[in-house]
Amino acid sequence: MIFKRRFGWKLRDYPIAYKLTVTYVLLTVIPLLLLVYVSYTQYARSVEEQIGEYMPRFLYQANADIEKHIDELTRLPDMLFNSEDVLTILRRETYDRRSALNRDQYAMNSYLARTYTSGRNADVMGVFVLSNGRLFYSAKVGFKEDDWNAKLGDYIGGVKTTGSQARVVLPDEIDVSLDTDVPYVFIHKPISDNDNRRNLGTMMIAVDLSFIDDIVRNFEKNERAELWVMASTGKIIYHTNRHKIGTIDEEKIRYPTLNGSFRTSASDPAKLVSVNQSPERGWILVHSIPLKDLTERTDLVRNVTVFVIIGIILVTSFIAILLSYSMTRPLKKLSSLMKSVERGDFQVDLQVRSGDEVGTLARSFNSMISTIRELIQQNYQIEIRQKEAELYALQSQINPHFMYNTLETIGMAVEEGETEQVVDMVTLLGRMLRFSVSNQSKSVAIAEEVQHVKDYLTIQKFRFEDRVHFEIVQMMDDEDYHTLYTPKFILQPIVENSIKYGLETRKALEIYLSVSQEFGARSGKRDIVFRVRDNGPGIDGERMEELEQSLKKISFEGRNAHFGLINVNARIVMMHGADYGLQLHSIVGKGTEVIIRIPMTRGETIASADD
Amino acid sequence: MFRIFAIFLAAALLMTACDSSTSKGYELIYSMEPESSAEAKPPAETSGPPARYQVAFVPKVGNDYFMYAAEGAREAAEDLGIDLLYREPASADAELQIEIVEELIERQVDLIALSANDPDKLVPILRRAMDEGIEVVTWDGDTQAEGRRFFVNMVDPEVLGRHLLDTLALTMGEEGKFAIMTSSFSAANNNEWLKWIKVQQQQYYPDLELVTTVTTDDVTERAYEAAKQLLADYPELDGIIGNSSVAPPVAAMAVKEAGKLGRVKVVGLSNPNLMKEHLLDGSAQMSTLWSPKKLGYLTIQLANDLLNGKLPVDGREIDGVGNIRVNGDMVIMGEPLDFTAENVGQYDF
Repeated sequence: MIFKRRFGWKLRDYPIAYKLTVTYVLLTVIPLLLLVYVSYTQYARSVEEQIGEYMPRFLYQANADIEKHIDELTRLPDMLFNSEDVLTILRRETYDRRSALNRDQYAMNSYLARTYTSGRNADVMGVFVLSNGRLFYSAKVGFKEDDWNAKLGDYIGGVKTTGSQARVVLPDEIDVSLDTDVPYVFIHKPISDNDNRRNLGTMMIAVDLSFIDDIVRNFEKNERAELWVMASTGKIIYHTNRHKIGTIDEEKIRYPTLNGSFRTSASDPAKLVSVNQSPERGWILVHSIPLKDLTERTDLVRNVTVFVIIGIILVTSFIAILLSYSMTRPLKKLSSLMKSVERGDFQVDLQVRSGDEVGTLARSFNSMISTIRELIQQNYQIEIRQKEAELYALQSQINPHFMYNTLETIGMAVEEGETEQVVDMVTLLGRMLRFSVSNQSKSVAIAEEVQHVKDYLTIQKFRFEDRVHFEIVQMMDDEDYHTLYTPKFILQPIVENSIKYGLETRKALEIYLSVSQEFGARSGKRDIVFRVRDNGPGIDGERMEELEQSLKKISFEGRNAHFGLINVNARIVMMHGADYGLQLHSIVGKGTEVIIRIPMTRGETIASADD
Repeated sequence: MFRIFAIFLAAALLMTACDSSTSKGYELIYSMEPESSAEAKPPAETSGPPARYQVAFVPKVGNDYFMYAAEGAREAAEDLGIDLLYREPASADAELQIEIVEELIERQVDLIALSANDPDKLVPILRRAMDEGIEVVTWDGDTQAEGRRFFVNMVDPEVLGRHLLDTLALTMGEEGKFAIMTSSFSAANNNEWLKWIKVQQQQYYPDLELVTTVTTDDVTERAYEAAKQLLADYPELDGIIGNSSVAPPVAAMAVKEAGKLGRVKVVGLSNPNLMKEHLLDGSAQMSTLWSPKKLGYLTIQLANDLLNGKLPVDGREIDGVGNIRVNGDMVIMGEPLDFTAENVGQYDF
């Protein structure tokens, strides 16, 4: 239980790939193996049981055949009684002359040859009749021993005859042996004179047991099957392996049945043994075959199946591992990418091409990262440009050159005693400085912005007197003029530009500024439009093109001649989008018109946008 | 992960490697142990010493023939392990046999084997014995069928009767006068043979003439007297058939004494031992019989079978006897044996 809990606890913490593979193994491999194992064992068992069931029946039949045959053989001695002459000879006890004995011997031997050894009884190898000290015989096979007749006589003399029943004598019970390789037994039968109720002698018939071969080979052709016949004592009378004839089957006493079949693993290899015991003589016919031979075909199927299954398991496991990896690899990559994103690196791309959920996830991740990246980029650059623009605007406001010129002009006015002019100029300059310094917000009301440029131009007018003329026209109602807002310092850089280039070439520069509300084709609503027109030198085509390119890019390429224009444009685009910004119209030698277009923005919107 | 995978692979290989037969020793798959063997054993055990059957063996009278039959009966009793009671009547009288049976009923024997002197007189007492639970069989001399379970006959009466006349005809040259000496007219078996002798004569031998039939009561003295009387009464007699075992020897003796040796032929049923002398000196021509020992042996064998619930079966081989024939409730032991001067020495009964 502890193990189980620990295992369960551990399993939860294992990687998905591990879990997937284990699940696969549990769901696929184990049922597959179980199925194969169970079906194989059941099949092998049923084969064994089938054979175990029909083999005893065969044996029963075969044993009955053997018994019947032996019975027939045991009745062979009765044929002696068919001949009166034979009975007469057998009943004779003494002879007067040797020739009389020899005549009987001849008659008897030829009768035995006629009746037993030649002709019908193919199984009879020899007959031996011992009667009143005489030995009559006829044999197809000789004995190995030379003094066989004495030994045979000794044997027969030693056997206590009980009744007149025929008895089967195994070759090793007797001291003599036939000069042959075939299995044989002797049938021993006392010859009794039923009429006189006397014993006339003994008959021994040597019987070839090869007929059992014919009987058993009818139903068993497998070379590795062993068949044997043994007496009830376990002594083997007949065996397909001739060397075992005469030995004793030691295992016989341990057989669980003598009529049936059983599986034994006592011997190696394990065998299926079927036995049948004949009811009369008690002979046991045994059939033994290695289990392997029975299930040979099954084993082949099993081995092939096992190898195929192992192959399938290997291949499918490989596929399963591959699959789980292909599933978890993007996840792992995602997690590592997320870590690097966490560290601040947004330059990542999750390379997953698949169209499944993982692919969707990867694409969503990619688009999320790129969106984040873009947003960062945008905010970052807008911030920088605004800062730069503000810095520039700040710099222009407190332009030392402008300050110096203005102060010099004031100084000259003081010398000339034009007190009223001095007061105006100082007032204007003060107001300009206050506008620049005090107001921290990025946007100001249109009125303030226009007032600021008006102050600037007025100061320049004091300085250049008749060389500068300007006109400011307000083409909107006062309320809008005071409540609508505009980015700060968008007019001064443009006006500065006009004065700078205009005074270089013109004796008298005229600047015209208008503030109006117009319908904008690009924004689709009413916008605020500032127009700054001068009669300066204009801009030639080449420069104009460059300028327009720079305005479109909204980039900063150093502080060139038109930095002021570009900065204003960039700030407006960054704050209000590409629909707004600067437009230039210029005719060389006649003048330039700069149109600044901004959306109508109320103060509160600005405040919230500014944050 | 690979470790677990390897474990599964190893388990798979292990499963294929080890066979289902993991249990050591012997595992029974199928048994067709015949049920009869289980049933057959207990009776085999009970037929031991406690159930020793008592069988009574009763002949017609005490003569050589029945003495040999008793010898065979004793041999069988010894072989089978049963107690044999031999009771012979002083003479061949049915009344004496009834007394013997009464005594046997009192003794509560298991079986009575009887050679009946009269087929009818003995029936009531034998039926009483059967009512008392005693099995009854007859041998040699039969009773009416209701008096016994079966009858052990030596030979087929028809075969014997015809054969007896054939042997006489052969020795007489198929013509002349002959007489028959039988035991008594009440003995069923003798009457049966007589019948067939007459049938055979009428069928094949018109020149043979049966002059008379006399009885001997199976007593040697009476037979001897009867034989002498025959020869005296019928001087032109050519042959005598002895229809019971005492007759042929005394007939031969009478022929010899009358100086008619060779002129009056003697054949009949008799023991070779009794006939040996007469056959060798030519006073008798041929004797026919069966082995009375074998008859006694067979009777006890069949009696034992009956006590064990087995009735005789046609064609069955009885150990020490040979094949028997069964015709209804009659058992026939075999064929008759002929004894002549040549082979009479071979037989000992």
